[in-house]
Amino acid sequence: MRFRPGAMRNLADEELMQLVHDGDVRAFEVVFDRHATPAFSLAYRMCGRRAAAEDIVQEAFLSLWRSSRGYDPARGSVRTWVLSVVHNRAIDALRRQGSRDSRDVPDDGIAERLSAPDRTDAEAERRDDARRVRTALDELPPEQRRVIELAYFGGFTHTQIAEMLDLPPGTVKGRMRLGLTKMRNVLGEVMV
Amino acid sequence: MTGEGVLGNGRECGEDAAAYVLGALEPPEAETFRRHLAGCTACQKEVAELEQVTGSLADASIRYQVPRELRRRVLHEVRATPKAQASRPAWSWSPRIAWVVTGAAAAIVVIAIVLVIALGSGGSGTRTIHASTGSAELQIADGRADLIVHRLPALPAGRIYEMWVQRGNATPTPTGTLFAVTSSGTAAVGVPGGVSGVSAVMVTQEPAGGTPAPTTAPVIVARVT
Repeated sequence: MRFRPGAMRNLADEELMQLVHDGDVRAFEVVFDRHATPAFSLAYRMCGRRAAAEDIVQEAFLSLWRSSRGYDPARGSVRTWVLSVVHNRAIDALRRQGSRDSRDVPDDGIAERLSAPDRTDAEAERRDDARRVRTALDELPPEQRRVIELAYFGGFTHTQIAEMLDLPPGTVKGRMRLGLTKMRNVLGEVMV
Repeated sequence: MTGEGVLGNGRECGEDAAAYVLGALEPPEAETFRRHLAGCTACQKEVAELEQVTGSLADASIRYQVPRELRRRVLHEVRATPKAQASRPAWSWSPRIAWVVTGAAAAIVVIAIVLVIALGSGGSGTRTIHASTGSAELQIADGRADLIVHRLPALPAGRIYEMWVQRGNATPTPTGTLFAVTSSGTAAVGVPGGVSGVSAVMVTQEPAGGTPAPTTAPVIVARVT
């Protein structure tokens, strides 16, 4: 089946992935354009370096292209899968780094903050959901938010965090669990 | 297998669920928890719930503009990497099978399926190997190769199958191919670059983003001799 260029952008991710399976580069292009911004944003937030973030995103999308037949919708959305790959690759990159000083704060002078307006209702809705998630995180008790951010965005293990904060490892794990459970309860319907 | 409620060293299993979904367990702890997870419904439920939170965290970062050069590079690479072709005519093949079971009491039984390609990497055709818990085919034609697996176990959250190639006796190198199997245990993946000069195609179970070097014993070894 052939799609007009504009029509392809109306397809759902799962339909696009079928075309990607068949080697349709235009379908892959739509998937990339749909999910590259959150993927790059996550990688950049974690690494703090544009070049490293670009490498991670490039590898994540190339693995989607090469392994598209292995994608199983029953295990989650395309977006979740891409972001999961980006997150895991960023953690690997961070843990290979000798020095961690340079990744604490993203360098806003290098990567360009996105200020373009939302093009679709779905994008606007996603942006609202993202705002709610950030608010839920910000409203956690500081000690819970800190361990979650260090683990998820910093790529630190719980024992590293325990050393950094001079806490017993069990306390760190406990704060992680309390914080995530609280966010789960607050967000509820956002996470579908 | 560890039962529900207690993990190891007297720890309650739920203590590790949040650290696990955040990717914050030390690698040996993560491996222990993954094995426990396969048989603990309480932890499966907690992990599934907490993964929704971490999934939303991933999507909640402040947005940065994707560099145009990155988009151009990715699409250029994709156009230069055509997808592997579908299956081709097969012929009878009597494989040599080796079974390797590792990980005492592991929930995920690691079985190495060894497939020996006798005609060399320059040949064409399909070789199929069958085992009681799974099977694999390596299809080669025109310098391209596809690996098709059937009835392999689905992996728990946070784990994925990763493909490697070995040249001679050198250390296996990652192909960048990561895949999950369907509910029936099937997957079909291309071997990037084909098998020219390759002595073996391997598959291991790795963390979801893949790793630069294998961390587990291979579940599939397709030797190209």
